[in-house]
Amino acid sequence: MTDSAQSLSPLIHLVDDDAAVRDSLSLLISTVGLRVQAWADPQSFMAGFDRASIGAIVLDVRMPGISGLTVLEQLLAQGVDQPMILLTGHGTVEMCRRAFKAGAAEFLEKPVDDEVLIEALQNAVRQHVRSRERHQADQQARERFAQLSAREREVLGLIVEGLTNKEIGRALALSPRTVETHRANLFGKLGAESLAQLIRRYAALVDAAS
Amino acid sequence: MTPAWRRRLPSYRTLHLPSLLLWAVVACAGASWLAVARLQQLHAAFETDARIVHRLLSQRVVQHDAIMATLALLQPTAAASNSTDAASPLPRLPSVYPQILAVLQRTAQSDWPPALQAELAAAEASSRRTGHAAMAGLNLPAGRYHLVLAGTPASYALHIDLRSTIPMDEWPMDRSTSPVRVTLERDGEAFVVQPGRSDMGAWSRTYEFHKLLAAPSQPLDVVARRSVGLHELPWWGMLGWCVLTAALWAAGRALWRQRVARQRAEELLRLGQVARLNTLGELAAGMAHELNQPLTALLSSTQAAQRLLADEPPDLETAQTAMARAVEQARRASTVVGRLRRLVERPDLAGQAQPLALPSAVHDALHLLEPELAQRGVVPSVTTTPDLPTVLAEPVALQQIIHNLLMNALQALEQVPATERQLHIALARTDTGHVALSVRDHGPGIPPEARQRLFEPFYTTRTGGLGLGLTLCDSLAQAMGAQLALAPEATAPAQDLRGAEFVLTLPTAPPAHDR
Repeated sequence: MTDSAQSLSPLIHLVDDDAAVRDSLSLLISTVGLRVQAWADPQSFMAGFDRASIGAIVLDVRMPGISGLTVLEQLLAQGVDQPMILLTGHGTVEMCRRAFKAGAAEFLEKPVDDEVLIEALQNAVRQHVRSRERHQADQQARERFAQLSAREREVLGLIVEGLTNKEIGRALALSPRTVETHRANLFGKLGAESLAQLIRRYAALVDAAS
Repeated sequence: MTPAWRRRLPSYRTLHLPSLLLWAVVACAGASWLAVARLQQLHAAFETDARIVHRLLSQRVVQHDAIMATLALLQPTAAASNSTDAASPLPRLPSVYPQILAVLQRTAQSDWPPALQAELAAAEASSRRTGHAAMAGLNLPAGRYHLVLAGTPASYALHIDLRSTIPMDEWPMDRSTSPVRVTLERDGEAFVVQPGRSDMGAWSRTYEFHKLLAAPSQPLDVVARRSVGLHELPWWGMLGWCVLTAALWAAGRALWRQRVARQRAEELLRLGQVARLNTLGELAAGMAHELNQPLTALLSSTQAAQRLLADEPPDLETAQTAMARAVEQARRASTVVGRLRRLVERPDLAGQAQPLALPSAVHDALHLLEPELAQRGVVPSVTTTPDLPTVLAEPVALQQIIHNLLMNALQALEQVPATERQLHIALARTDTGHVALSVRDHGPGIPPEARQRLFEPFYTTRTGGLGLGLTLCDSLAQAMGAQLALAPEATAPAQDLRGAEFVLTLPTAPPAHDR
């Protein structure tokens, strides 16, 4: 699933109640090769958008029924990880402050210049891709860590602490040879190619497990 | 959401309980103080009178002792003693001293009169023992007694009538009307010197004075009693005090209510200003949104078209669609502006112009601005040429223009020291037959770069100014056939010619319309 999602170009969700704004912004965004899905009202957007997609969300602040700021707060509360860009016709300092405090990625004033909007979108997409990758790496590490036996986890813990094979053997009452075997096994299971990589990826997990 | 102006206003009720209570307390306290002071005054007068009475009576009875002593000195010598010689001074005493009814004598030969013998003998014995005179046959209700002084060979007795003892000419009180009762008392009996008054009604307070006469021979108790009744309290004074404080209370309440009313008016005025600002803010926000939507679409469409045309090969068809959309959005924006204009369009003012006297309009505007003028210490000077014709103007619009010009001048004057603040208003006939109203301030003046743009909407030299005041004045003036202009700058910027001058030129009313 992740492979197929990443191969597609990022998807921008555009929520604005004004059809003309929706159409023209969609066209503008699509000229840089980003896919756009436009939504006329926040309710149908929240009910129907693909939460797994890579990309960003563009929200108009002034919409009938529900404000873009409220939509942003609700989406974040639901754990949506797409960066959100707010668009407003008359932004006040107070509104801007509230938006950033709530977790908006960007706060832009209408009418918005193409370069500003596109740069903001590209930044947002990059940021999202990075956060998804980090998330996936974490996920993979957790899965691999779960395959380790209890003894291997003990050995891993001592490796992370910087002990040599000899010291580990003494600490766990094992022969250096057995330690060597465990060490080779856990390197294999965790897919680590160097000690540095092993420590960087798994130190946090070892700490969390112990 | 609670606005800052929604402060608690003071109470406006007519019967204000706390202040009414305060009045009651003050009135009662004052009235009580008056009553107590009167009682103290009466008591002091009573004490003084009683002491005087005691002194006068004492003086009189001491005189009896003196007479007796004199009689004792007139003792007949034992040798030359015979009844006629010895008796000779005795009958003369009652004619000199009216209180002495009779003088009795006991000598070796003659005893006391038989009727009084026992009493007088006992008194004589007592006198002989104590060395001073002694009383006998005391009949206080009748005011009679005998005073006996033992002597050798003769003892004397005076029959005294207390009624005549009272010194009428020196008496401190009017004996028939005085409320003080004065008695001489001994052994439960009393001689009434002055009857006094005792019918005091439901409430009364009694003062008493007791003191023995300052004559050891006649130990009578001088008793003064005085009752003070309700009717003797200073009712008129107390009532007057209550009325006075009530009047003060009412005046205070009236002042307070006046203040409240003024505060209320000020609050309402401020409320009106806040509401107007809110409306203006809402209007601006709505306008921004209404215009921003088409402008956003317009900008995005044209920029998308630009990008499509820059592509290799250019996507002409999509670019055309985008441009068509841009045109459509530009039209939409212009519709929004048109709608807004119709919304705030003013009715035709020229049709409502009426003949009116310009000086009184200026006077009204200055009257309205009195607090503002006073606050800045500005005393405006108004010069009017005689025979100023009636002008043709719409009263409210004219009022607004004058008000705005004056406010502008006042705000300009804030930038110069208080001593240099001058405001000149001049009304004059122009060469062209119009009437010109000139408002000239002595402020810093208008910089050359601002002079050209002064009447442009949203142009302002003040921070926080909307830049609509003069624009509004200008369009109001034009709508009623008048003209508003900034007077050309004085050629020599001398100290006394500094500042800005605005001139409103108004058409005159045709003579037929003159009232």
